[in-house]
Amino acid sequence: MYKLYAILIGVLITIMVTFNGVLESHIGNFLAVLVIHIVGLSSISLILLLRQERPTIKKGIPLYLYTGGAIGILLVLVNNICFSNLGASLTLSLGVFGQLLLSSIIDHFGLMGMKAYKFQLKKLIGFSIILVGLIIMTIY
Amino acid sequence: MLYIVLAIIGGFLTILSMVVNAGLGKEIGVFRGTFINYVVGLSLILIMVLMLGSFLDIKTLTSIPFYAFLGGALGVIIVASSNVIIPKIPAIYTVLLNFIGQIVAGIIIDYIRFDFISKGKIIGGILVILGILYNSMIDKKQLRDGNNA
Repeated sequence: MYKLYAILIGVLITIMVTFNGVLESHIGNFLAVLVIHIVGLSSISLILLLRQERPTIKKGIPLYLYTGGAIGILLVLVNNICFSNLGASLTLSLGVFGQLLLSSIIDHFGLMGMKAYKFQLKKLIGFSIILVGLIIMTIY
Repeated sequence: MLYIVLAIIGGFLTILSMVVNAGLGKEIGVFRGTFINYVVGLSLILIMVLMLGSFLDIKTLTSIPFYAFLGGALGVIIVASSNVIIPKIPAIYTVLLNFIGQIVAGIIIDYIRFDFISKGKIIGGILVILGILYNSMIDKKQLRDGNNA
């Protein structure tokens, strides 16, 4: 059942990227990111209110943990630019390829506090299949 | 080509933000962490927009279809529901299942927007899914062998 939910989240991601792309086409990339964050902040504030949680800042935790918001901005900017030029499916597929690539690197070297899992050469087969799929999507 | 590289970088950023957000969520709670994220994000983009000197005018805003404003809310829903679901399914399936949902919705949306179904996108999408599946199986085997050793 949870697997079905995971697929549904994927559907939501595509719908989100599409909505954001439409917004970007009307008001430009930077203003779109601004609106997206205003709506997002309102939504999460509402959730906190409903759950009766107070926002906190904890001292003594690594500063880089607070950079998620900055990474998020870059991500939405990049996604909006690519969506307008490549369409939804290709943008998302290339993004997944990037995700797999970086996760393999993180796993192999055990970066960012993760446990190291050596990269297995057999996985090059999977990556090649994915690449062929991406090339077909791109040139069609 | 530039956009292709950019889209792959988008994938890198996705992973980075997942790792960082999970770290912050562990420290102060998922919803509080998400709140901080949006505060930091909004402050930064506000500064950028002010520096660029671009402003929202009401006339343009009212001409935009309402649904286009919902992306930000969807983003929060996605983060919140991922945090509930991801711990409950094996991590190696998360990317795969997410991608299946994304690619199917992507093909349907491209069809609605541009009014054609691209065979290449479907064939390519299936190949990408197969590739992820194959690598997931290798990961699974490695995890199992690692646990037994």
